[in-house]
Amino acid sequence: MSLLRSRERTRSVIIHLALFLVLGMWMVPQAYMLSIGLRTPAQAFDPVLFAWPITLDNFITVIRDNPLAPIFLNSLIVTISTVAIVVAVASLFAFACSVLHLRGSLVLYATLLTTLMVPLASLVLPLAILLKTFGWVNTYWGLIFPYAALGVPFAIVILKAFMDDSPRELFEAARVDGCSAWQTYWHVALPLVRPAFVFVAIWQFIVTWNEFFLALIVLTKAEMKTLTIVPMQYSGLYMANPGALFAVLTLIALPLILLYVLVQRAFVRGLLAGAVKG
Amino acid sequence: MTLQHLDVQPAMPRIRPMALRRYRRSPLAVAGRFAFVLPAVLLFVVFIAYPIVWVAGSSLYSKNADGVARFAGLAVYGSVLTDPTFWIVVRNMVLWGVITIPVQMLIGGLLAYFIERHTTTFRGFFRTMFFLPVVTSVSVISLVWVQIYAPYYGIAQEYLKHVGITLTYSPIGDPSTAIYALILVNIWQWTGFSMLMYIAGIANLPTEVLDAARVDGAKGWRLAVDVIVPMLAPSTKSLLLLGVIGTLQTFPIVHLMTGGGPNRASEVFGTYIFKQSFVLGDTGSGAALSVIVLLIALGLSLVQIVFLGTRMSPAKGGEA
Repeated sequence: MSLLRSRERTRSVIIHLALFLVLGMWMVPQAYMLSIGLRTPAQAFDPVLFAWPITLDNFITVIRDNPLAPIFLNSLIVTISTVAIVVAVASLFAFACSVLHLRGSLVLYATLLTTLMVPLASLVLPLAILLKTFGWVNTYWGLIFPYAALGVPFAIVILKAFMDDSPRELFEAARVDGCSAWQTYWHVALPLVRPAFVFVAIWQFIVTWNEFFLALIVLTKAEMKTLTIVPMQYSGLYMANPGALFAVLTLIALPLILLYVLVQRAFVRGLLAGAVKG
Repeated sequence: MTLQHLDVQPAMPRIRPMALRRYRRSPLAVAGRFAFVLPAVLLFVVFIAYPIVWVAGSSLYSKNADGVARFAGLAVYGSVLTDPTFWIVVRNMVLWGVITIPVQMLIGGLLAYFIERHTTTFRGFFRTMFFLPVVTSVSVISLVWVQIYAPYYGIAQEYLKHVGITLTYSPIGDPSTAIYALILVNIWQWTGFSMLMYIAGIANLPTEVLDAARVDGAKGWRLAVDVIVPMLAPSTKSLLLLGVIGTLQTFPIVHLMTGGGPNRASEVFGTYIFKQSFVLGDTGSGAALSVIVLLIALGLSLVQIVFLGTRMSPAKGGEA
């Protein structure tokens, strides 16, 4: 028995070591980014992963010289608006399909789902022209609405599946108690699908925050740019100073990484709660 | 709900619970109910359907030297399809999909298996850390990898020396290796996503089946290969579908790291459409390319849905 136990333990130790080894390799690019950001100019071009001594000078320089706060704010405005629209619009639609059984809603659902098969690459040109017609180039709306339109179908898929699995009796009870459709949506359906709702919101946040293609085309004015499209500028600006470049890149990448670490538990919980049954 | 169900469900007679029917009262209430679907439909019509119709229409026009667009039928498609760059793009896209998708599934699946079945204390830590590249801005990632690949001061050539691989130039600067170097970055960034999809699948495997298999003597690798892998088919199918769409919309990594070069060797649909439409201002061929990409995406998706019964996700038939 104890022999078996010790074999189990050895195996567990080996698996953990292997996982940590793979993770170490996986983290090389991130570690390298941070490490160059922390170097003195003398070591900036050394072809090594870690250099000593480290200094915070680069970070101080780039924070002092660059107005990152307004860019961060642009990203935040676009992302939060998109997430809000996506979860609101998608949950209303899912409720109409799943609980109200609105006539024709399943046909609409099938139609909307085709969006999931549309690569953004084939939409950028027509969207760019559409946004120009609307006068929405270099505006927040010019990104928020296309992002929302692209995000809603996926959110509907998840939310509808959750509502389909919710106990019908709760919706009926709400009806008996005299709730209107809107009240049922707000007081019964939304609380029921909360894990899915949170999952969809977090995923939409990640996707929107990091979207590059459309942002590149829609945002040409410096003061409108979001965090994902400014790194290119810095790569030119700090060509001869990799320390500063990678310090600014670290600062650009950090907010979403920190946010994900904070919410990952809720994100994975939503994913697991909604996962397949066979 | 699943795409698989899509073709079935609308056709099925829907049993409408009496209780819910009673929501329908005044005409106002009926109109109110359509307010639930209206915003989603509006977004779809204005920002998805209309642009697609527009792009299909304008792919049939070409511009003269004087800048006047005139109807050209399928002529634009003809010139797009005879452009050698188009076929470089097709080759690159095939390579991209054929390499990225299975490799990500394999590594992601292995990570998911070991993390879910053999770790406890560190489970959350591993799940989070391997997913971090997905949430790291792709433009940041691209610039970091340019630095990694750089000749003289990059770490790739420095460390690969120790395993006997000598790089005398940046792998993204050589036409014969550029696309593979980019694919590697893409795999690195998105494997965490495959891992999470498989984790969702593994975490929800019914314990009874696993126990039954174990009683029947399935252990270790046999259990993994004969029992778990087939049961993860829904995750695998979703990853395949998402991988195909993801491949076709590849853009930032290529645009930022090579710009489609050197000498167009790493051009993909995203960068090609971008150049034709926004750099050269040739909206006719940009539109034709957009339509071609769209048709490929729809075609491949339908093939998968028909032959594999693919669902959009492991998340209850949903998922990114």
